[in-house]
Amino acid sequence: MAMKTETRRVLRKLFRNPTSLLGIFLLSFFVAIAIFAPLLAPVEEGRDNPFRMPIAKDENGRMIWKSAPFPPSPTHRFGVIGKYDVWYGVIWGTRSAFRIGLIVSLISSAIGIVIGSIAGYFGGWLDEILMRITDMFMSIPFIVAAMIMTTILGKGLDKVTIALIIFGWMQVARLIRGNILQAKEEQYVLAGKALGVNDFVIIVKHLLPNTIFPVIVQISMRMGALVITSAALSFLGVGAEPGYADWGTILSYARNYMMELDRSWFAIVYPGTAMVLFVLAWNLVGDALRDIFDPKMRV
Amino acid sequence: MSKKLFVLVLALVLVSLAAFSAVKNPDTLIVAQYGSPESLDPQAMWDTASGEVVSTLYENLIRYDGESIDMIPMISTAVPTMENGLLTPDGKVYTFPIRKGVLFHSGNTLTPADVEYTFERGFLGDNSSGAMTLIIEAVSGGQYFSIESWFEDWAGMAYSDAVIDREPVSEEARAKLIEFYEEVIDPLFVVEGDNFVVNMKGSFGPFLYTICYYAGWAGILDAEWMKVNGAWDGKADGWWKWHDLQPEESPIHMDADAGSGPFKLQVWDQENKTVVLQRFDQYWQGPAKLKSVILRDIEEFSTRKALLEAGDVDLIAVDPIYRGTFDNTPGVTVIEGFPRAQVTSIHFTWAVDPASEYIGSGQFDGEGIPYNFFDDINTRKAILHSFNYDALIEDLVNGLGERVPTDLPKGFFGYDPNLPMYEFDLGMAEQAWKAAWDGQAWENGFKLVAMYNSGNEVRQTCCEMIKVYTESMNPKFKVDVIGAQWPTYLKATRERLCPLYIIGWVADYPDAHNFLSTYYHSEGYYGQRHGGSYTALAEAQFNELIEKGVREPNPVKRLEYYDLLQRRLLENYVSTPLYMPQGLWVGRSWVQGYFPHILRSNGDTTPEYYYAWKAE
Amino acid sequence: MTAYIIRRLLILPIMLLGITMIIFSMIWMLGPERLIGAYIKSPEALRSNDAQERLIRKYGLDQPFYVQYGKWLGNLLQGDLGYSNVGRTAVTKAIGSRLPYTAELAIYSIIPVVVVGIWLGVIAGARHNTFWDHGIRIFAIIGWSLPDYVFGLLVLLVFYSFLGWFPPGYLSESSMAVLRSDEWRTVTKFATIDSLINGRLDIFVDAFRHLIAPIITISYLWWAFILRITRSSMLEVLRKDYVRTARAKGLPEKVVINKHVRRNAMIPVATVSGGMIVQLFAGTVIVETVFARPGLGKFTADAAVQLDYFSIIGSALFFSFILIVANLVVDISYALIDPRIRLK
Repeated sequence: MAMKTETRRVLRKLFRNPTSLLGIFLLSFFVAIAIFAPLLAPVEEGRDNPFRMPIAKDENGRMIWKSAPFPPSPTHRFGVIGKYDVWYGVIWGTRSAFRIGLIVSLISSAIGIVIGSIAGYFGGWLDEILMRITDMFMSIPFIVAAMIMTTILGKGLDKVTIALIIFGWMQVARLIRGNILQAKEEQYVLAGKALGVNDFVIIVKHLLPNTIFPVIVQISMRMGALVITSAALSFLGVGAEPGYADWGTILSYARNYMMELDRSWFAIVYPGTAMVLFVLAWNLVGDALRDIFDPKMRV
Repeated sequence: MSKKLFVLVLALVLVSLAAFSAVKNPDTLIVAQYGSPESLDPQAMWDTASGEVVSTLYENLIRYDGESIDMIPMISTAVPTMENGLLTPDGKVYTFPIRKGVLFHSGNTLTPADVEYTFERGFLGDNSSGAMTLIIEAVSGGQYFSIESWFEDWAGMAYSDAVIDREPVSEEARAKLIEFYEEVIDPLFVVEGDNFVVNMKGSFGPFLYTICYYAGWAGILDAEWMKVNGAWDGKADGWWKWHDLQPEESPIHMDADAGSGPFKLQVWDQENKTVVLQRFDQYWQGPAKLKSVILRDIEEFSTRKALLEAGDVDLIAVDPIYRGTFDNTPGVTVIEGFPRAQVTSIHFTWAVDPASEYIGSGQFDGEGIPYNFFDDINTRKAILHSFNYDALIEDLVNGLGERVPTDLPKGFFGYDPNLPMYEFDLGMAEQAWKAAWDGQAWENGFKLVAMYNSGNEVRQTCCEMIKVYTESMNPKFKVDVIGAQWPTYLKATRERLCPLYIIGWVADYPDAHNFLSTYYHSEGYYGQRHGGSYTALAEAQFNELIEKGVREPNPVKRLEYYDLLQRRLLENYVSTPLYMPQGLWVGRSWVQGYFPHILRSNGDTTPEYYYAWKAE
Repeated sequence: MTAYIIRRLLILPIMLLGITMIIFSMIWMLGPERLIGAYIKSPEALRSNDAQERLIRKYGLDQPFYVQYGKWLGNLLQGDLGYSNVGRTAVTKAIGSRLPYTAELAIYSIIPVVVVGIWLGVIAGARHNTFWDHGIRIFAIIGWSLPDYVFGLLVLLVFYSFLGWFPPGYLSESSMAVLRSDEWRTVTKFATIDSLINGRLDIFVDAFRHLIAPIITISYLWWAFILRITRSSMLEVLRKDYVRTARAKGLPEKVVINKHVRRNAMIPVATVSGGMIVQLFAGTVIVETVFARPGLGKFTADAAVQLDYFSIIGSALFFSFILIVANLVVDISYALIDPRIRLK
């Protein structure tokens, strides 16, 4: 009951604020693109993996094996760069962005929640050990870790995902732990404990619902940030495999033509805009959610 | 305030505009390339970035004449041939008359003893990161590739058993080591008056090439300076202490040089990744025109390009893929299309290690391939006919490449443009697939892994081509393109883990043997990686021709061997060259004195600095 | 309090040890056949049949994990972190000599990052939900969400290729020649400071010219981060009782913001500063690549790509150490400032 009214309150607030409304609008736009990707950028028959961009063809149906940029044309409305159709990459890249964002933020948050609640609820030496491990992971520079990981695991977006998860749970763990430390002194938790209620039940039923909101804010912010991180990894040569439909990949094809914007602008503007808007959308929603969830602001 | 700022800005703009009209830094050549040297010790390096610097600091006995591969004197005043009597008729004893009046950068005079020291240090030191193996192979008459194996053969005990932690394990081992030097190594290189003499264990045709200038590893060292600064002391007792050192243990690794070349090392700035070379004014051929040469390692292509366009650097390294970005750049000259002694090839592993992770299910079920997939000639045939060779050369590398029939670059002995080349013909490829493995490949499909070392865009595209055209023939055909990081690529290719990958070879010396034995001899560097029935095939058909070829002094006969060999190779659809890259040189128009040479390290980016100058 | 600090300090080496173990075992998992890739760059170097075996033996790559790790630990106790292949010197020296370059860039960047970031945050917070709030946030988020190499290359294109103002690199070649000469006195290794010590105003200007473009790139990247923290803590403080009281007293809004809100809103910014410094240090890799500058970020990335494991571990240790110490300092100073926070 409490959750329901809470949800309603959140939604009402979200839709009333113009920036969060803009964020929601943009997000639905991206969701629509992701859903309708097969219609917007059809996949040739016989290709089982739509995320591998096909080699673009020129107007005569010949494959383009040149990596140089080709300006937008009726067959390639966003142009061609690095042998690939920018339009195709931008459309399917939307799916990649959601995929990597959702997988990484959900799994790493789940890990963080488990570790954080155990540390916060049980405290003592368990807390100490878990938190020091968390600190250790936090203090290894992510770029270094990701580079070693890809050398071990091999190149590819799935490997990047694993690296992002392994080095992405610490913030949530700390957040949850902090909140649980506060909440576990509350009357109802102490009462539950005194009555001998199972620890697991207390955590899941009573503690987490009251501490989860900041995590949701975190997740929404990270959804955007992950796209940026994976693009940076592409730049360093440890990101998605070449030809993977991903905004960062397309941008990295434009990298060597950056000094001639008149020839290559489309390969920067289109994926770049998609990326900026995607990150912007999640940020606006995240900001709005934080404003709403922050109890001190419920005036 | 804002007025002042405006004036300042205006002044800056004017200054930058004015800079365009005049030669910037007229005495200094600034090069922006990608890649830093590994070591400046000639005997501990084998990469092109090191080779380029080393061959500016050091000089060899002989050198090439201009752009050709004809040899002319350098430190030696004559090139040994049978005609001039400096090479004995059995091809085993070479005599080099040493030039007088050559000064090292330290001020010492170069003598035949320095040359002797150089070769002996190289042999005894035999750095496993260096290229000494080439000279060891030549001087041992093709018998040995390393001093350790030579020692083992001679002493009957493994080097690693004789020396542990750089100390002999016993007095007996110590005696053996000393004896090995005195009886085996010392007699190879002898000083006779003003001459330096090499007594080869057996004749080896390309020997002179392995020590000819541009082969940085054969640069002559200043023995006196080296001994004072902690290198091998020249004594028989204790040579093992300098055997296979880590590069940084050498006094000429990065801080100094011990050469006689036209430039000396001023500094190798590790932080700024810059090598600064200063003119050596007492150079025996007269001082160079340039006062200094600055080599910067700048990874980002766009940054290099911006620097070149502004005139702040004079030369930059450009990947042929990006040739098009210099179509109309004012003040920039592009020289292109000259040959490079290297080939890029497709390699089939005839029998992959059955435990490999790159063969999927290991059978014809559409999820993998049998470990000996490429043992069937039809599979190789199919792949080689489904490669768009013209698109690779014309489109991807912007015409900066050429097809060659076998892994033998154009211009090398034995190269024959009339040999047939595989055509891009999907019809023939389809036929071959249908015939492969009694139709199993066609009916059940497969999943094949094609690998390249990540970062290499040409190789990546080659793999993608194989993927695109192969998959277009049958929906059950799948090709996975894997870009492996260098260490993984190295392991997967060396240990026969990957069924198909793209390889390349840069010539060590301009002789057919360097390529044919490397690629096709069943014990060659690439040849031994085929496995499966290749070994038997090579032993029956290829090895003998390769071995006879390198020893044959009569060129007509030698050509016959190589012709027969290449025809057999083509019939059997052995691993095949995709193309031979051509050079691309991009620099400011004011850089003068450039000439290409197929063997110069980084020769497509940089000139030979001694002959270069700057002028509009 | 003292006990707390001692405990944290005691735990520090254990954590650092743990970090080295994580990284060491990650690298060790690659196996000797792959690790030799760190020592050779061209396939030609493995031409002789025993070359691979010899390289593995030479660098001791075939030894079991505990032997290699133990050896490394033993050297560590003597202050030796091993030899850096990428830096071509001892790891400690390689890191030490690159630190000033990155530190100089980071320190100069922090000023615009923090000052402008906070300024933007204060405006956005004070004008919550107005056009200014939205506009500033969108502006900052664009900077954050553009990959830094794209923005960096654009900066290079505009300010170097078009305008010719801010060249890439550390110094121009003529200044570098002065730096490499004998008369140059190196004190801080910060080009902007050493040039003044040496009385070379021209080199000072040159150094600054080379710093501006990377600073612009870094700042635009970081504004969104500082802005968000400042803005939300502004919003939080704005609802505090004392602010309401101040407003009720009829103080002008400007005074309220400047006197009561801004200072208190700064505390969370200080909290994240420890992590931010490390991120700035480690995260300069892309800026260093694009602008061809020397530094720790590029060094670490090169080491990681080339599997130069002594350097990797060395720089990871260095970054971890800074982060842990910075966090400790922040925690302690917190407790000193705010008596309500008790350290356990």
